[in-house]
Amino acid sequence: MNYYREFTKGIWEKNPILILGIGMCPTLAVSTSVSNALWMTLAATFVLIFSNIIVSLVKAVVPSHIRIPIFIAIIATFVIIVELTLKAFQPDIYKALGIFIPLIVVNCIILGRAEEFASKNTVLPSILDGLGMGLGFGLTLTVLAFFREILGSNRLFGYTLIPGMEPATIMTLAPGAFFTLAMMLWGMNALRSRKRR
Amino acid sequence: MNASILRSTLILGLTAFVATFALSHIKAITHPVIQKQERQKQENALALVLPGYTIGEERSVAVNGGSFTYWTAEKTDGPATMKAYAFIAEKPGYSGAIRTMVGVDDTGTVLGISIIRQSETPGLGARVLEAASRNTFFQVVTGRAHETGEEPSPWFQEQFRGINAAAKIGIVKKGDWNEAMREELLQKNEVSAITGATITTKAVKDGIEEGMATLRTALEEHAKAQEAPAR
Amino acid sequence: MEIKALFVILISTIFINNYVLSQILGLCPFLGVSRKLDSALGMGLAVVFVMVMASFFTFLIYKYVLVPYDIAYLRTIAFILVIAGLVQFVEMVIENVSPVLYHSLGIFLPLITTNCAVLGVAVLNTEAGFLTGNLGLLKAVVQGLGAGLGFTLALLLMAGIRERLEIADIPENLKGLPITFITAGLMAMAFLGFSGMKI
Repeated sequence: MNYYREFTKGIWEKNPILILGIGMCPTLAVSTSVSNALWMTLAATFVLIFSNIIVSLVKAVVPSHIRIPIFIAIIATFVIIVELTLKAFQPDIYKALGIFIPLIVVNCIILGRAEEFASKNTVLPSILDGLGMGLGFGLTLTVLAFFREILGSNRLFGYTLIPGMEPATIMTLAPGAFFTLAMMLWGMNALRSRKRR
Repeated sequence: MNASILRSTLILGLTAFVATFALSHIKAITHPVIQKQERQKQENALALVLPGYTIGEERSVAVNGGSFTYWTAEKTDGPATMKAYAFIAEKPGYSGAIRTMVGVDDTGTVLGISIIRQSETPGLGARVLEAASRNTFFQVVTGRAHETGEEPSPWFQEQFRGINAAAKIGIVKKGDWNEAMREELLQKNEVSAITGATITTKAVKDGIEEGMATLRTALEEHAKAQEAPAR
Repeated sequence: MEIKALFVILISTIFINNYVLSQILGLCPFLGVSRKLDSALGMGLAVVFVMVMASFFTFLIYKYVLVPYDIAYLRTIAFILVIAGLVQFVEMVIENVSPVLYHSLGIFLPLITTNCAVLGVAVLNTEAGFLTGNLGLLKAVVQGLGAGLGFTLALLLMAGIRERLEIADIPENLKGLPITFITAGLMAMAFLGFSGMKI
């Protein structure tokens, strides 16, 4: 088992958002600022890694036909841990991320990896898989947020960039999200087809 | 068949039990921290809307399926004691309820507002919280940031100071506000709406008007109750 | 008077605050099932049904069990398990009533459980101020209905456009997800026009 490969596949080759096409909901809505993107990555990766660990540990005793509700219950538990922790120690971030914190539980990436990988592999590869996927998710999210925050609100990390300039607010709204992601996917496709030739 | 249903139910139940057990421990740890923070936030909001006043007591009255909370406060300025009140106004905005802490003096003039909870659209309704930051990104990164001191208060909220909450508040679609516009708008008891966020603006304004009316009724009932002590 | 409030909720969740095109929830199925109009319609109706039922049960559980017993922090796990159960139920119903639809929806039917929009509307119901005041449960259900109808509307519009895109001459690297997202972006821009609407 190539451990290094298990870790890096989530970043590029099997990037959850750009290649596998999962986990898009929070991606678009949370990438309005780089700060939100980074915190969401932290929260989602935490849930991903720990639920991968638990699923990998209990995979032998969980009957196949109820595995989905069990996985969901496990994931939901870690999501609530994140919710409570953020609410207590980072209330501003908690407010900024809003309903997308509980929505981590339905993030296709987490349930997807639990079903595809953690339920069929041992603990260490599952941890690496979770880490890699989380990192891939985070990188994509951060790049998206970088463009959207700069173009859409003339800020970076909350600080104004060019004083007095009126930004293109539409970038922080839904259309901007769709367009920016479309550009990234296009770029990704172009890169891959060039590699194939 | 039955054995497998039983087994599935047992495993599901056990999972739920373990999960809830773990979570209740986390809750016990985080609860006091969360409580302390909410109290701190409330104290900050009260201090913001009632600058210089000492907060008196907190009272709650039941109203329309929920409860209305308000605070009494007073300030001594030489020989005179000035009374003031603060209450929380809540009104549905564009997406979700908007909660505002409002401070008024006893003539119904607003001393200050602080929007404590909103989930409006970033760039539109969420601009109620927008305050121009003193430093740009480059200044911060290259270490040439100005002394920050106090962050300026959001213009949308600042403009409510001096508005008469007991009368009808008008909305003009100016899209912005600065100190120079204050006198003119206060004369007509108007506030400036945020461009593209009239619903949010209206929600805040309606909340303040309604809250003021409820406060009046609550104060009158309280006064009546004081005059006629229970037997 | 309350009827007007319900109407406002309905209009705002379908058009002004459309769950897919404005609040960016429910994307996975939106991208996955919007290839053909008839499966899009079937999916949309299934989601409406699940959202209405989910809004009903989750609101009741929140108001009468979670809040009074001070276990509101268990909202996420309670809601998602209720939704999972509901979807299982809907699956069984569809399988019996229309096996054709069941097969055309395929994997996307159980995936309604992980549809952000369903859990989203359940959570938003508890934060919209419906807990105090009259007719809270009805308002929550109407919001669920509106969210589902808005989702279906967006889905149908997207399916109609995608059917045409299949036969259009699109550059190789834009085919599939990129062009779909650009379309979605344009649709979202169009729906932005509703945002100033006074009802």
